[in-house]
Amino acid sequence: MNVITSRSLTKTHLLRTQTRRYATISSSGPSPSLTTHTLGPFQVFDRETKRKQRDRAAYKNGGASSRTVDYVRDEIADRMMERLEDIKRKFSTIVDLGSCSGHFAKLLDPSTTRKCIMIDSSHGALHRDPDSEFEVEVKRIHADEENLLQVINPNTQEAIVSCLSLHWVNDLPGILIQIKEALQPDGLFLGAMFGGETLFELRTALQLAEVEREGGISPHVSPMTDTRDVSNLLGRAGFTLLTVDIDEVKVNYPSMWELMDDLRDMGESNAVLGRRHIIHRDTLAAASAIYKELHGNEDGTIPATFQVIFMIGWKPAPTQPKPLERGSGKTNLKDVL
Amino acid sequence: MTPTGTIQTTKPLKRLAVHATTTCAEQASAYGKCILATYTDVRRDICKEEFDKFGRCLHEAMKRKW
Repeated sequence: MNVITSRSLTKTHLLRTQTRRYATISSSGPSPSLTTHTLGPFQVFDRETKRKQRDRAAYKNGGASSRTVDYVRDEIADRMMERLEDIKRKFSTIVDLGSCSGHFAKLLDPSTTRKCIMIDSSHGALHRDPDSEFEVEVKRIHADEENLLQVINPNTQEAIVSCLSLHWVNDLPGILIQIKEALQPDGLFLGAMFGGETLFELRTALQLAEVEREGGISPHVSPMTDTRDVSNLLGRAGFTLLTVDIDEVKVNYPSMWELMDDLRDMGESNAVLGRRHIIHRDTLAAASAIYKELHGNEDGTIPATFQVIFMIGWKPAPTQPKPLERGSGKTNLKDVL
Repeated sequence: MTPTGTIQTTKPLKRLAVHATTTCAEQASAYGKCILATYTDVRRDICKEEFDKFGRCLHEAMKRKW
């Protein structure tokens, strides 16, 4: 595959068909492992690049840059914790899949949780913050989130959580099945992932700029899962008693440039397979102007939307409450209401 | 907003960012408005005139071609 590095090549490569590239494996870094859980058709993201981006972000300025941009993850972790607190249960261990530097694990309360196992593919992010910042005991496992069952045995976990990591997983149906397998019967899965509306302002601004300046578009913002699909995916993976809801975090930035800087420091730069490796400066300047005019706030700042899908699912167990058979009700709802 | 005269940053992209949002804000806005007026049917170079002005301003501010 061609990796476009020279600016003069851009225009000629721009109109190449992008369709075939999705199915290929990127030439940068070792090829993603093709295990039984990650088969070819599900390859959308370049996991190796993503790992490097996140390591780089976590190590930059000794972690200071990364800490500055914790605001989105901290906010979402907090909202996810509210959902965990609604579950009246004590856990001896919780697995945090794609824990990053432990935004969620730091909020765990020792009175309900004894230990947290953090799994992340980025060594830098995983070890960014010392153990003293956590109230519960933590264990760190440096492993690829896509291969959960390689580090966790089936039927062993009481609860698995995942906060803002699943949007970089290639095989989403596969990872949900792995999570269900790793859980004990009646085990809990609580997850938060970015939904399809995330960064729609940036996506549209870049697309309009590319079309108008260069005459074609290429993916700069990841394809993200639609809210409607999530409950289907959870059901398909075999979870029961599903709860799916969405929430939004809007952040205002002085301009598109600060937004892009922050995304990079979060380790959330583009890692779509077959992406263009550069954006022409004309296009960037154009996108910045379009972003401001199309989406800008009255005070001159620009908003960025982070849509989050929260999901709760349980591994089936005979002890769980089940719906009664259809037509077996004896009370007329009219009498109750 | 930082006045242009005091900008010490050396990274070209940072300078581009500053000029695109402050020095050439007026031209940027004109270009953005042109796109806004046609965004349901954007084609290549549909706002070329506006962008050329914006681009010229950026080139002058950056003091070089890129």
